[in-house]
Amino acid sequence: MVSQQEVISVRVKFSKTGNLMYISHLDLARTMQRIITRAGIDIWYSEGFNPQPRLTFAVPLPVGVESNCELLDFKINSYMSNEEIAKRLSDSFPEEMKVISVYNPEQKFKNIGYIDYTIELYSDKITKESCNLVKELFSKECLITKRTKSGEKQVDISKYIKLVDVEKIDDGMSIHTILTADNENYLNPEYFVGAIRSSLNILKDDEVNEHYSIIRNNMLNFDLKEFI
Amino acid sequence: MQNISAILKNVSKPGRYTGGEYGQIIKDKNKIKARVAFCFPDTYEIGMSNLGMKILYGALNQLDDVWCERVFAPWTDMEEKMRKYSIPLFALESKDEVKLFDFMAISLQYELCYTTAVNMIDLAGLKVFSKDRGEDDPIILGGGPCAYNPEPVADFFDIFSIGEGEEALCELVQLYIDMKSKGSYSKKAFLREASHLEGFYVPSLYDIEYNEDGTIKSFEPKYDDVPKRVVKRVISDLNTSYFPTKPVMPYIETVHDRIMLETFRGCIRGCRFCQAGMVFRPVREKSAEVLNAQARELYENTGYNEISLTSLSISDYSCLHEATDRLLEWTNEKKINLSLPSLRADSFTKELMEKVSSIRSSGLTFAPEAGTQRLRDAINKNLYEKDLLNAVGLAFRGGKSMVKLYFMNGLPTETYEDIEGISTLASLVVDEFYKTPNRPRKPLTVTVSVSCFVPKPHTPFQWEPQNSLEELCEKQKFLCEKITDRKIRYNWHEAKVSRLEAIFSKGNRRLSKAIALAQSKGMVFDAWEEYFDYEKWMDIFKECDIDPDFFANRRIPFDEILPWDVIDIGVNKSFMINENKKAYESLTTPNCKEKCSGCGANRLGKELTWCPNKK
Repeated sequence: MVSQQEVISVRVKFSKTGNLMYISHLDLARTMQRIITRAGIDIWYSEGFNPQPRLTFAVPLPVGVESNCELLDFKINSYMSNEEIAKRLSDSFPEEMKVISVYNPEQKFKNIGYIDYTIELYSDKITKESCNLVKELFSKECLITKRTKSGEKQVDISKYIKLVDVEKIDDGMSIHTILTADNENYLNPEYFVGAIRSSLNILKDDEVNEHYSIIRNNMLNFDLKEFI
Repeated sequence: MQNISAILKNVSKPGRYTGGEYGQIIKDKNKIKARVAFCFPDTYEIGMSNLGMKILYGALNQLDDVWCERVFAPWTDMEEKMRKYSIPLFALESKDEVKLFDFMAISLQYELCYTTAVNMIDLAGLKVFSKDRGEDDPIILGGGPCAYNPEPVADFFDIFSIGEGEEALCELVQLYIDMKSKGSYSKKAFLREASHLEGFYVPSLYDIEYNEDGTIKSFEPKYDDVPKRVVKRVISDLNTSYFPTKPVMPYIETVHDRIMLETFRGCIRGCRFCQAGMVFRPVREKSAEVLNAQARELYENTGYNEISLTSLSISDYSCLHEATDRLLEWTNEKKINLSLPSLRADSFTKELMEKVSSIRSSGLTFAPEAGTQRLRDAINKNLYEKDLLNAVGLAFRGGKSMVKLYFMNGLPTETYEDIEGISTLASLVVDEFYKTPNRPRKPLTVTVSVSCFVPKPHTPFQWEPQNSLEELCEKQKFLCEKITDRKIRYNWHEAKVSRLEAIFSKGNRRLSKAIALAQSKGMVFDAWEEYFDYEKWMDIFKECDIDPDFFANRRIPFDEILPWDVIDIGVNKSFMINENKKAYESLTTPNCKEKCSGCGANRLGKELTWCPNKK
C-alpha cells in the first residue's frame, strides 16, 4: 500500500469540442477512467471497500458547451514524466478531445472565480441593432427564471456577468463574455444565451437554420488572471 | 448533410447520434469499393451492447476495400425532428445518408423490432417492400436470430444471411465487388449468384402456394440452381476466427458496459423450448489460452473494469476452470471484476463462487424454468430440486441474500400442479436460507420471475400452440394467489407481449402486410413498454384479414410444411419430432457430453464438436 505522501498530483488541461459537447459530465468521468486505464497510467485509487480511481474535474462542463480549457486532477502512484503522461493520454483520447498540457498543480480548484466564453448566435434575424441590444440587456437588471432543486426562482443574472463584448459576424453575432464560476456564484452560460434569445425573440422555432455555440476559453482566478 | 448538431440540443440523449467514439473506424471513401450500413433496429444503448454487431463491424472493416458503419434507430423525438427537417437516416461514422450505401444490413434480434426495422428503411428514404425498390438502392440484407424464420419480414428484404455471419458477410460483399468490377452486376444477377453462396436466402427466388385454410401447400425455388433449403453457416474454429479486440467505446452508458468475451457457441443441453440451444449447434469452444489473450488485448484497448464470459451456459464450458485461473492471475491485481452469467444451478460450486466473489452484487440468478420435476423433465431441463437447493445454500453461505429464479408459464403439458410447484420451490429456497447456519445478516429476497412460453421455430416445441391470452392471464393470477410468503417477490411478463412474439416468431410471409401497415401508422419500438400497443396490433391484423390465433394458438401437425422449413439449421426434423414426443412422456434426453443423440448438427461442425460419435 502506497502512503499518501508518495503519490504525485497531476493536472491535465484538455479540450472537449465538436460532438463531444453532447457528452455529459458523468459520461465524461466514466470515459476518462477508461482512457487512463488504456493509457496504462498507474493512477491512485481511493481506499476502502470499493476502491475507485479518484478523478477531480474543475467546474463540470454543461451539455451543449465546448471547451478548450478543461482541467482534470488525479494522483499517480509512481513517477512518470508529464511528457509521458501527455503522450499516453493523447494516444487514448478520442478524436474530439486533445491534451493541451500536463503539469503538477499549485493552485486548488476553489481559486477559480470566472470562466471566459465565446458565444456565437446564428440567425438571419440578427442585425447590428441586435448587437447593441445585447450590450444594453446586461448593463441593467436582467431577470431570468432559474430552475433549482427547490423549484423555480427569479434571478438577476447581470451581477454574474463581468464582461460582455458583442460583435456582428457574417450570419449572426459573436459575444465574448466572462461569467462567474465559483462554487456559490456559478452561472450556466445557457442562462446567458436564454436571456438573449427571449429578449431578441430569436432562435425559437427553426433549429436547423438558427443555432448557437458556446465555447469555454479559459478558467480565471478571482483577479481575472488565468487559472493554472 | 444538414446541421444535425443544432437539432441535437433539443433531443434526449444526443450522445446516441454523434458518433466519434474511440475505436470507431473511419476510412477514405475514395478507396472503398463497397459501403455497408450496419443497422440495429433499436436504440444506441442496446445496439452498442450487442456482441454480434461488434463482431460483424470488425470483420467487415478488416477488408481494405469495404467500409462498414453503424446506424441505430433514432428514438421517437429524434425521428420527429428528422422527418420535420427532412434529414434522412444517416450512419454515425461518416454522417452520410444510408441510401447512398451499397448494403443496408439490418440485424434482427427480436420479433418486436420488426416495425422499427421497417421504419429504418423508410427513414432512409427507401421503399419498404423490396419489389418496389430500384436498381441503385442499397441491397437490404437481414440477419441475426430472427432470420431463422425470415418469412414474416421476407417481403422487405432482398437477402438474408442465415447462421453465423462473420465469414459469410465478407464473402457476400466480395461477390458484390467482383461482379461490379467485372461489369456483370445487376441487382437481379447478384441476388441469384448470392443464393449459391452457403448460408444465403433470397426470398424473391421462391414460390409459395397456400391451401385454403392458410397453411402452406408448396414452397419451392423458382429456378433449379436455387437451393431447396438454405443451410446455415457455422464458424468451424473459434480459436482462429475473427474476434473483435478493439471495439468502439461508447461515451454514454449502454446496457453492457463491459468486456464481453465469447467462450463457446452452441449448448450441450437441448432444452426443448430453447431456440438458441438448437440453432447454434454444434458446440464449438475457444481454448483458455486464446480466451486469455483476447481478454488481455480487450482490457488494454478498452479500459473496462469488468469481463463477462459469455455463452449459453457458462458452467458447460470445458475449460472454465483453466480459463478463470489464467484470467485471475492478472485481473485481480488490476481490479477487474469477472462475471459469469448463465450459470446452471447443478454446476455451481464453492470454487466457482469464490472465483467470482469479487463481484459486489449480492445476488445470484438461476433458471429452473418449471416448478415440478415432471415438467422440468418434459422440457428436458435436466435440473433437480436438490441441485437448486444445493446451489442456493452455497450462495447463502457465501454471503448472498438475493436469489432470482426464472420460470415459464404455459409450457407444453403444464398443469396447475406444475404452476403451484413454482411457489413450492420458491418456498423451499426460503427455507434453505433459514436452515443455513452462518447465513448473511441481510434480509432475504427471493424473486420469482415468470415469463410466458413462446413456441419458437426450429425447436421441438415448434408445433405446439401457445396458451390463449386468457389462459396465460389465468395462470399468472393463480400463481399470484399461491405465493403467500412475503420473502418471495413475484414478477410476471405481460402476456400480450408474449402473444405478439408468438405470432411473429411462427409467422409466414403474409404477415409482412401487417408489419408494413403498422409502420405506416407510426408504430415503432414495440419492445418498449411505452410504445407497445396490443389493441392496435389486433386492429391491424383484422384490417389485414390475418387471424393471430392461426399463428399463435394452433397445434401444427408434424407433416405440415412450416414457413421456416426452407432454413436448414443442421438439426433433423426427425430428431425434433422425437424430442417433442418424449416431452409428452416426460422423458429426458442426455446432454451432448453424456451421449450423442444424433440430432444431425454434427455434419456442420467439422472436427470441433462435442459429439462422441464424431470424436
